[in-house]
Amino acid sequence: MLCLERRMLGLVGFIGGDLHATSGRLLRCTVRSSAVQQSSGSTHHPQRVWLSSQAPLCGHHTPKHRTGLYGPFTHPQQTLGSSRGPLSLFTQRVTLSQGPNTSTAKIRLRTRLVVTLLFGGGLLGTWWYVRNEKQQNHRMQRIEQLKKVALGQGDFSLLDHRGHRRTKRDFLGSWVLLYFGFTHCPDICPEELDKVSAVVSTLDKDRSLPAVQPLFVTVDPERDNVAALERYVKDFHPRLIGLTGTPEEVKVAGKDYRVYASPGPKDEDGDYIVDHTILIYLVNPDGLFLDYYNRMKDDVQIAESIRNHMKSYVKL
Amino acid sequence: MSAPNSNQRKACWGARDELWKCLDDNQDNAASCEKFQKEFEASCPAQWVKYFTKRRDFLKYKEKMQTEGFEPADGPKESQS
Repeated sequence: MLCLERRMLGLVGFIGGDLHATSGRLLRCTVRSSAVQQSSGSTHHPQRVWLSSQAPLCGHHTPKHRTGLYGPFTHPQQTLGSSRGPLSLFTQRVTLSQGPNTSTAKIRLRTRLVVTLLFGGGLLGTWWYVRNEKQQNHRMQRIEQLKKVALGQGDFSLLDHRGHRRTKRDFLGSWVLLYFGFTHCPDICPEELDKVSAVVSTLDKDRSLPAVQPLFVTVDPERDNVAALERYVKDFHPRLIGLTGTPEEVKVAGKDYRVYASPGPKDEDGDYIVDHTILIYLVNPDGLFLDYYNRMKDDVQIAESIRNHMKSYVKL
Repeated sequence: MSAPNSNQRKACWGARDELWKCLDDNQDNAASCEKFQKEFEASCPAQWVKYFTKRRDFLKYKEKMQTEGFEPADGPKESQS
């Protein structure tokens, strides 16, 4: 009798309410009246399980749900407990929507990402290593070639811009950047000497590297005496030393580095321009010529090259 | 005659640059740039004037080669045998 009442109320509720809830309730009510399909224990137990989620009017009054006639919308999971069958299927569906399937998908994506990154990293590392090896080989080859050319093997004896005699021996133990030029040079020598100054300043900043000694040797001993050199070098790096001497001394030094120098025709002032090799030479602390830099190399490239030479330098 | 010092060099280069800019603007018409020419010659030693003038000629020639193309000169003509 009570159940019939409920069914009627349920129908009313259906019109305005949640279909699922009411149909669920209807179903449960009918289940109650018929034989219970649950396999667990006595008939009383499942009933209570079913009914605990509903309005207490239909069947046992359980302290769990002191709600109104219609009760709250019964969440199927609340009645999970020991139940199986259609309910468990439903709950399974619920968990599937946010459950293990997406987490495995996430794991798979993560693993794939990690594997790709590792692989990519490995490739990059290998490429970088091979590139470094190649560069090193290149450098060693170049050094071998330049050693064969064997510039700067001889000795020189010149006067510096303060009038002191200097020989090649005086500069052993330091890295030397050597430039041949003349003070009456219109633009090239000042530019190259500015470049040398910039290189030396850059390398000075790195305390781990030994100091580089810049040298300027004149190819115009007729005009470039000690005083002229002194006036000239002070416009450049403070450590720059100017070197001059008699024409013979200067010729010996130039020949050592196979420097070409040819004074041009004199004009009415007696002024002339000396055509000469425009190169900056790098000499290591053992007095060996290691490298040269032409007009195309800027100060950054030269500094980098010197740094590499210093790093790979092995004392004889 | 002592070599120009750093300031004198810079003054000379400045005057040269002014002159070259004027010549560039006037399609190398030397007449319109006489003022700069005089300034240039006053700031620089004679040898440098000559040197920079030749340099400009060379740069213009190089530019022409690069833009207009280059026609190799005819080799020695075949001798009539």
